[in-house]
Amino acid sequence: MTTQAMRALASAIALMLCTALGAAAQERPAPAAPSSDLDRAQAAFQAGRHAEALASARRAADAAPTSVRALTARAGMAEFMGEFDEAQTFYDRAAGLAPDDADTIYRTASFTARVGEYDRALTQLDRLLALHPRHVRWLFQWAPTRFQAALLRDHPSLERIVQIKLDILTEKGDLEQARRLARAYAIVQPGQNYCAQARERAGAERDEVFKAFRLASLGQPDAADCIWWYGQWLSDEGYVRLGRLMVIEGSRATASAENKESGARYVRIRLGGNREVPKRAEQLFVIARQRYLRDGDINGASRLFDESIRLAPAFARPYNYRAMIAADLGDREGAMAWLQRALRADPDSWRTHRNLGRLFETLERYPEAEMHLRKTVQLFGDDAGGRLALARVLYAQGKYDDFAKEARAAVAFLANWRAPMPEVRDFLAKFDRWGPGAALPPAPDPHVIMGWNYD
Amino acid sequence: MTDRTAVVLLLGVALALAPATIDAGTYRSVDEQGNVTYSDRPPQPEETRAPAPEATPVPEVKAPDAKPAPGAKARNVKVSAPPTAIARTGSTKVDELLELSGARAQLVGLLSRLAAELRPAPGQMSAKDQASVDRILRQALRHEAVYALVRDAFLLHVDRTNLEATAAWLRSPLARKIVALEIASSEPGTEQKVATYAATIKTSPPTDRRVELLQRLDWATAATEISADLVAAASRGITMAVSAAGPAEQQLRPGQIEDRVAQVRARANRALREAHMASTLYAYRGLEDEELAAYVLFSASDAGRWYNSAMRKAMVGALGRAVEQTAAELVRAVPLDRWARAATLAPQPVK
Repeated sequence: MTTQAMRALASAIALMLCTALGAAAQERPAPAAPSSDLDRAQAAFQAGRHAEALASARRAADAAPTSVRALTARAGMAEFMGEFDEAQTFYDRAAGLAPDDADTIYRTASFTARVGEYDRALTQLDRLLALHPRHVRWLFQWAPTRFQAALLRDHPSLERIVQIKLDILTEKGDLEQARRLARAYAIVQPGQNYCAQARERAGAERDEVFKAFRLASLGQPDAADCIWWYGQWLSDEGYVRLGRLMVIEGSRATASAENKESGARYVRIRLGGNREVPKRAEQLFVIARQRYLRDGDINGASRLFDESIRLAPAFARPYNYRAMIAADLGDREGAMAWLQRALRADPDSWRTHRNLGRLFETLERYPEAEMHLRKTVQLFGDDAGGRLALARVLYAQGKYDDFAKEARAAVAFLANWRAPMPEVRDFLAKFDRWGPGAALPPAPDPHVIMGWNYD
Repeated sequence: MTDRTAVVLLLGVALALAPATIDAGTYRSVDEQGNVTYSDRPPQPEETRAPAPEATPVPEVKAPDAKPAPGAKARNVKVSAPPTAIARTGSTKVDELLELSGARAQLVGLLSRLAAELRPAPGQMSAKDQASVDRILRQALRHEAVYALVRDAFLLHVDRTNLEATAAWLRSPLARKIVALEIASSEPGTEQKVATYAATIKTSPPTDRRVELLQRLDWATAATEISADLVAAASRGITMAVSAAGPAEQQLRPGQIEDRVAQVRARANRALREAHMASTLYAYRGLEDEELAAYVLFSASDAGRWYNSAMRKAMVGALGRAVEQTAAELVRAVPLDRWARAATLAPQPVK
């Protein structure tokens, strides 16, 4: 009864081991040519070795405490890694050494906006503007819009000022003022269909999509759907504060009562409702996620997630990531505990119910898995992946009629999204023909709806 | 350990599905008292019996607890001579069950083959490295040790009623015939025979009913799924060991390993499905349709589904652990760069 499996395994192991070992050994990188710590930091950063980059930047700054370049490099690396206190310290030191250095002022302003210290950021921007010649400042403040595009092109630092101000106004919730500013400085042009451009770039690089949606939200106040999508896209990326603002704005702008209701539900089950998440906590979460998923930095990421939780105890996402780390390390009980904490922090968190359901399923605790997955699809009926997971746990419990109902509903929904799910269809066909088999049904998790795929 | 490893693992899985080329075999024999012994030496003709006969006369069999699972549809399956339960008293030991099912015998063969395939060919490694590898393989892939892992894992899932029903089925003459065929089809050199047999299918295709029965058997036993799980477990074990032994910046986080394992499993599953029909047509060529139908019926029963589920968990868990430990020891004893050198000297597998 195990013949085929045995035969497959025999060859698999041998081939994988011999060749994997060989390949792994051959993949060792050539040692980097020795240079200064600052160069090493830069090289490590470009190679994606971010922890090493920060370590080198620290050494460089320690070795040259009066070098503005070394200090800002360390501050920048620290900011990138979510070490915000360290970043603040070294931006301040650099500013102390070179108070009129435009680059340092700009970077400090950008950093302070990032951590939500908007008034401080605006002060820095005023200082940056003051460094420009008087006539440039005059033109920037008084010249008609038709001259501003050329002015900003000739003086990129002015465009930086405008862009940061736009972010600050938007994040503070004053979208009207942000739109006026964008129009005044020709960041957006009348008659342009930014929304169509954003949709065309849906599969492009992250930065391109971001810029396109941002322009749509600034330049087309009536493009309710587009603003809605922008909010959902931001949610997937982790920018929950701006995401919430955009979803609310999209819901306000739409004429559809159904869409208004949908937007309100989205904010409640996806963005924590009215629970406040400070900007610093949000940014720590975003960076912690990158440190874990991109760098595999378990300790660094865990520390940042914990700090995010400390600053925003009702923010469910960092708990979910702590659970992911625990599960990845094989600590399923730990993962369970983190998810339970997430649920206490935000009982309506769709993602938390979903993760709990799937975790219970891997533990073969099917009744509990069913409870959370039922809640998942109750919160978000279009969650086809959650519905397939629910179908699987129903099948595992011998609830075959319910299984078939849920699986068919998911397949029918996904067909509308051009996700045919052949493995699920094949399973259902065999089930219809022969009744239950020994294997559990597949439960793929197709990412078909923007805004619901990542946390 | 980046994308390259994924390619390598993919290659490994693809090759896993290709015919094995190593002829290292393990032979199973049963003495007059029903004791089973294993050897790398072919037994004398008079001591070879497969499957193991009962020491006592086999009683007449009657139907085991092979009722279809709730909702199961029995159409297209006609059982002319349903197997019947043995009137045997006393608890059935898991050891006995694993013996009766042929799992123990097949595990021995598997480990022996693994060790033979993992052992570098002469000249690929230094004598000292080769000796280290041999020592580790002897220790890590000892049959008794791995079998104990399987048995212990199986014990966690024991359901007495289903176990007894399964044992009753396995003691039936039909089940013993099936087990014998499965063991025979796992012996070295079978792949060649399957390939030859597959060529004959083109000119003399199986009946629709035969194909349907074999498809349904795979559905009921989840054999292909189990194979894919085993490949995934091996992939996970090796990837973890290699990742841990590599440079820090190239180490994969656990989630990344799981992503890769999922990819490997998906590919393995597809390839296994393609290979499934020819190999099962060959393996069960000695069964009549009605016999195959009875096998399907048992496999679709509560007992059959319990057995396959428990075996799946036990084998996947135990072999995954054994492979991971073996791989970890091998890369500890022989550094990666020396494996790399050996790999460049290895003959390229035929795709």
